[in-house]
Amino acid sequence: MSPLLEVQDATKVFGGVRAVDGCSFTVQGGTVTALVGPNGSGKTTLFNLITGYLPPDRGQVRFRGRDITGLDAGRLYRHGLSRTFQQARVFPHLSVQENLVAAGGYSWRQLFTRRVGRADRERAGRLLEEFRLAPVADLLASELSYGQRKLLEFAAVLMSEPSLVLLDEPTAGVNPVLVETMERHIRERHAAGITFLIVEHDMGFVMRLCDPVIVLDRGKQIAAGPPADVQANQLVLDAYLGS
Amino acid sequence: MHSLIQGVILGVLTGGVYALMASGQTLIFGVMKVLNLAQGAMVILSAYLAYQLHSSFGIDPFAAIPITTAGLFLLGVTVEVLFLRPLRREDRAELSLLVTFAIALLLEGVMSLVWKTNYRSIDTSYANGSWTVFGYQITLVRLWAFLMSAGALGLLYLLLNKTRFGRAVRATVQNPESARLLGVESTRVSAFGFGLGAATAAAAGSVYGLLYAFYPGSHYDLISLLLSIIILGGLGSIGGAIIGGLVVATSSAIVASTVSAAWSPMAFFAVLIVVLLVRPRGLFGTAARGAI
Amino acid sequence: MKGVPGMARAVVFFALLASLPSFNLAHWVLNLLVFTLIYAVMSSAWNLVGGFTGYPSLGHAAFFGVGAYAVALWFKHHAITSGYEPFVVLPMIGLFAAVLGIPIAAIAMRTRFDVFAIVTITLLFVAQTLAFNLHGLTGGAQGISITVAPFPPATFERPYYYVLVALLGLAMGITFLTMRSKLGLSLAAVRADEDKARGIGVRVTGVKLLVFAVSVGLTAMVGAVWAYYESFIYPQFAIDPLITIAIVLMTFLGGRGTLWGPVLGAGILEGAQQLFAYWLGGSQVYLIAYAAVFLVIMLLLPRGILPTIQDRIRRRRRRGTVNAVAVPPALPRAEVTVGGGAA
Repeated sequence: MSPLLEVQDATKVFGGVRAVDGCSFTVQGGTVTALVGPNGSGKTTLFNLITGYLPPDRGQVRFRGRDITGLDAGRLYRHGLSRTFQQARVFPHLSVQENLVAAGGYSWRQLFTRRVGRADRERAGRLLEEFRLAPVADLLASELSYGQRKLLEFAAVLMSEPSLVLLDEPTAGVNPVLVETMERHIRERHAAGITFLIVEHDMGFVMRLCDPVIVLDRGKQIAAGPPADVQANQLVLDAYLGS
Repeated sequence: MHSLIQGVILGVLTGGVYALMASGQTLIFGVMKVLNLAQGAMVILSAYLAYQLHSSFGIDPFAAIPITTAGLFLLGVTVEVLFLRPLRREDRAELSLLVTFAIALLLEGVMSLVWKTNYRSIDTSYANGSWTVFGYQITLVRLWAFLMSAGALGLLYLLLNKTRFGRAVRATVQNPESARLLGVESTRVSAFGFGLGAATAAAAGSVYGLLYAFYPGSHYDLISLLLSIIILGGLGSIGGAIIGGLVVATSSAIVASTVSAAWSPMAFFAVLIVVLLVRPRGLFGTAARGAI
Repeated sequence: MKGVPGMARAVVFFALLASLPSFNLAHWVLNLLVFTLIYAVMSSAWNLVGGFTGYPSLGHAAFFGVGAYAVALWFKHHAITSGYEPFVVLPMIGLFAAVLGIPIAAIAMRTRFDVFAIVTITLLFVAQTLAFNLHGLTGGAQGISITVAPFPPATFERPYYYVLVALLGLAMGITFLTMRSKLGLSLAAVRADEDKARGIGVRVTGVKLLVFAVSVGLTAMVGAVWAYYESFIYPQFAIDPLITIAIVLMTFLGGRGTLWGPVLGAGILEGAQQLFAYWLGGSQVYLIAYAAVFLVIMLLLPRGILPTIQDRIRRRRRRGTVNAVAVPPALPRAEVTVGGGAA
């Protein structure tokens, strides 16, 4: 079965720093794949390269077999590739509901229709229910707690009904209860057919949820496989402990 | 051909001064992520100060540089502390730009009040002197201005690369978060960075009056020009600003000497459009869109 | 502005406006009203780009000038048949400016909002240079004239007044519809975090171009009305940075991104401006005064009058309900980091 996402020899240099250095890996459809590695190993930069926020200096990215290298982020979103950000990027002065509707996609003609119409309310409503955000639907996103913002951001990128979702540190900075909630949502959506690629530092989370695990160090892949194997891999240990 | 080379010579000499002004502006952007719309006004202010020092005390504009530089450095620091720092975090990105714009207007208003709105220029004894080398004319004033700018840029380079403050500045430019974690005081770096940007404007401004006639409203053309330069060079890159300054000044001069002097001020505009169309990040800029 | 009370407010406002000339007001009052309306329409138009989209254009005056010169040039080549004809060609002028605005926006809005601001300043400078240099077309520094309108001197201002009220209605109507539509939602997303907006499929470029075109079209129409009112235009007044500064300040004062904010700002500041002109004269002091007011607003009242009031009301309402939701401080506009970050 051909992989859903293929990264080949991706390279990105920032003024002398090789953030991503000839990195190659694949993500199979139907998995919850983890992308781990010590700080500075290039994970977020890689996300930016894959999702069209940064053009790679070299290398290729293929999604569903098609070359998407350097394509616009919006276009990728509309074709089923979503991502979240480390800092939970939402639109602070829009309401929770509006945040979802804004991510819902609309045609040119629909630009002149109601800001939040009935169809929008229904679609957003389903996600609001699923993520238990219905009680705060009319609050401004800026009035939410950090954890709620992360949930909101996650919910919003599901509005396009993606097939691959890249999550950038979904549990960073949130309380343990929310970690569980996140995990549950990921599992539920995974069961519904979405493939996930998750950057994470919380090893417990990774071990429980993800298989396979891809390890990066200094911009390159150094190991990939089931979590138990990766955990025992000497190269990985060296990378983290810095030998 | 002759006029072409003459244009190039003129351009390079003038380009040095532009490069100096633009470096300050791109530095401010690099440190604070703020486009200083008052950079042009600060150059003109310095020009007026040099003019005044010359007409009241007979001080040569070049000799006035230490005075104007010190003065505008203090002004820059004051502006940052009084008007930029108090902005609330959530407003800072949107409002800093307009705050510097308001400062530019304030300066323009004050200059108009003090010096009125007629054109001035600084007339020194050597203002008209020039050498002729291989049949090409080299105006003395422009040559000295170029050498001064090169020297000032050299000083800037030393400051940024050999001092602790300079290291702090460079760290902040590259990665403000990490810099802060490493103990760099971002508030101090911002204040001094802004002051430094103003100081470069001052150094260039002192000799600006020797090269061009100016009046308080000249800052609009200047700021447009400076923007083209730093966009071409890449926001935040001093090396880019230097090259950008040379390119823009040279194209302008070539248009002036080969086509017509009336249209040469527009040369930078053409450069700007081309850059925006072809490579918005400029020569040495980093990502085009906001990188995360 | 929601539902029936909002509608009622608008109706009352416009009814009042429309009725004003019927009272026997002195000419200087009517003149003041005309200029207040001029600035109100322009501020509302600017608000679309600078307020809702977050792209502070500092060169809108260039399009004011385009409108002014357009009407003058049109009537250089077509004899005026009726006093009202210049008003009839207004939509054409607006359309012309809008179409002109599209390629300009396509280039200028390719970059961040702050670079955009300076590009628009450049635009203003270029427009002014062209106005001065293209003698054949614009009359250069000598300016260009339009036949004086044949309106009776006693009620000279009225036609202009009513046309401007109509333009204000148009501008506010467009603003209102924008706020209520997906277009407004898209713009709000762009303003908050353009890259994120792009990443979730918002048609960022398209909406920016659209809004810019509409905004400059409206501005040009005002310029045309002004030109006809003055019947003589000089390049330094038709394309004047002070105009841009005034409308930016008015929108900021009243509140960017609101329906009534620009109108409120224009009302307050135009009266003040005329007063200043009467007492002090001389644009140097204007400039200092504008700059000072600008700074005060940005440091003390950065959201402007209306949003600050709305905020207070909202906060008071929230305090009533016990919320289990934490209320963290507002998030800043997406910080754009140049250069690579770790990880």
